[in-house]
Amino acid sequence: MRKKTWLLTFAAMGVALGLGSVAAVPANADTADKKIALSNNYAGNSWRQAMLKSWEKVTGQAVADGIVAEASAFTTSENQVTEQAAQIQNLILQGYDAIVVNAASPDALNGAVKQACDAGIVVVSFDGIVTEPCAWRIAVDFKKMGAIQLDYLAEKIPDGGNVLEIRGLAGVFVDDEIHAGIQEGVAKHSQFKIVGSVHGDWAQEVAQKAVAGILPSLPEVKAVVTQGGDGYGAAQAFKAAGRPTPLIIMGNRQDELAWWKEQKDANGYETMSVSIAPGVSTLAFWVAQQILDGQEVPKDLVVPFLQINQGDLEKSLETTEKGGVANVEYSLDDAKAVIAGK
Amino acid sequence: MNVVAFLGGRAWIWSFIATALVWLATVAFTGGTGGGQILTAALSFAIFTVIVGIGQMFVITTGPGNVDLSIPATMALSGAVTTKLMDTQNEMIALGVVVALGIGIGVGLGNYLLIRLLRIPPIIATLSASFLVQSTAIAYGRGLRIKPPPLLADFTTAQVAGVPVLAACGIVFTVVMGVVLARTLYGRSVLAVGQNMRAAWLAGINVERTRLFTYVLSAMLAGLAGLLLSGFSGGSSLNMGEEYLLASIAVVVIGGTSVAGGRANVPGIWGAALFLYLLVTMLNTFGASAGLRLILTGLIIIAVITLAGGGEQQKR
Repeated sequence: MRKKTWLLTFAAMGVALGLGSVAAVPANADTADKKIALSNNYAGNSWRQAMLKSWEKVTGQAVADGIVAEASAFTTSENQVTEQAAQIQNLILQGYDAIVVNAASPDALNGAVKQACDAGIVVVSFDGIVTEPCAWRIAVDFKKMGAIQLDYLAEKIPDGGNVLEIRGLAGVFVDDEIHAGIQEGVAKHSQFKIVGSVHGDWAQEVAQKAVAGILPSLPEVKAVVTQGGDGYGAAQAFKAAGRPTPLIIMGNRQDELAWWKEQKDANGYETMSVSIAPGVSTLAFWVAQQILDGQEVPKDLVVPFLQINQGDLEKSLETTEKGGVANVEYSLDDAKAVIAGK
Repeated sequence: MNVVAFLGGRAWIWSFIATALVWLATVAFTGGTGGGQILTAALSFAIFTVIVGIGQMFVITTGPGNVDLSIPATMALSGAVTTKLMDTQNEMIALGVVVALGIGIGVGLGNYLLIRLLRIPPIIATLSASFLVQSTAIAYGRGLRIKPPPLLADFTTAQVAGVPVLAACGIVFTVVMGVVLARTLYGRSVLAVGQNMRAAWLAGINVERTRLFTYVLSAMLAGLAGLLLSGFSGGSSLNMGEEYLLASIAVVVIGGTSVAGGRANVPGIWGAALFLYLLVTMLNTFGASAGLRLILTGLIIIAVITLAGGGEQQKR
């Protein structure tokens, strides 16, 4: 009796395996029964809100179209590594086929990520990437994001001058990378000099406070280089101090773009704006889908950042919702192009 | 009697001395330029720390274990709801203020009920309440940034001869709260409860009503600060209260209020708030790196607290 049960089980497994391998043969294998989860570590600012909204929109459509069975987003309440590690372990137990993760730390989640890989789960990290080799990484060239700001300044203010740098959150990898890029840019365009550097934590209120504090001690400031989410605060601080508004690089937030438009209409103010599109979460989704689909995907992908120039301002402002961030959502074809390295 | 009272409350002097030293160091470094503007900026930003700091001071004074961790979330919710409600219209400001205070009353009552009915320690109760409040703010505003009504923006950023109007109002408010603490039945109940809850109860003080009022007061001030801050910085954002969690506790402690409760120090809040702001300004002006800045901030705060608390330890 017992023997028979075992045999039956083996037979059933054999059939299941056979069916599985048959289904996997065509190039476009069926991902219709696959479940993808988003593990997100933070939701408390406009960028993350836009990121979650894009995810909802694009994956909702993908589920409705039957491309995948499920694509749920999970966000931890505190921006804590331990909490996100526990969350990933839960997602493993819940049987997801792929986990898309925006990580709280590049290395502290590696243990949980490795567990997921060992359980046969595809892990795709983006924005906040993880270093665990078994995971895929969709990284932004943050260094270049810093360097091009100085390239732009060199073009606009050929004579150079004093520059105020607003950095992000101290101790975070992204802050170090953008800062390194800005340093590189200053070395290249030696007519510019960083006369002050403050941490704005990517938040308008914090940036405003820090800039207002250092401003009285600074000589004339020609330009402000930023990391995104801090340009509007800097502008407010310059206004409150009664100083002429310098060229402030913006970071694609709607309030920054609206302020830029106001200034442009009033006095022909010119600048540029650069940041990562929050819709990069949807790129990560399609990459995960492609991997589940059996496609060859390189482990390290680079996503372009979103730059808004003087000419694109009106159009970008129109398409950016009030309180949001200028955004690009990715389609399956866009994802294929990024995978192909185009 | 007056001399004893003065000496008993002298801890606040240290925070003002520290503030003056930090300011002098900064001005010496810049060669005398911008000294006045630095003070103006310090007053403009310190007022928000002072408003929430006073609420936190009352809570901490009611005794060991009492602390309000829901201040940042209340600020975020108040900012999000009121800017949306006022929708840049000057006529709606009065309603906005009422709603900001109303949100504070709601959060304060919620905090107290968790502490009283469910017997959860205040640190856990206010922390978990803050998750609920913050989630409500996220769900309600979704990070929407609406400009404040022009009149509110003008009021919060106005200056007369370098003195921010809001800070001047804040000083008057601080004096009023000082009188409330020292002269009214409620204020004295807060001190008595903080010194010994059982003794206060035996003396006929309504302990629970005092604690209820205190948590509501703290949350109301946080709600008001959220409204004013969104007026000051051109709109609200979900994370605008974040830095006020530790700042509100730090100004209470540096200002000379006893963490064990029962002894409050109102002027010290101002000294500590100005000190914290000028300290960061000084280190920024010196061009200190972020790591060095954090280490120095920590060391200097320890030094000030040790100096300010020295007398108290000798007495015991």
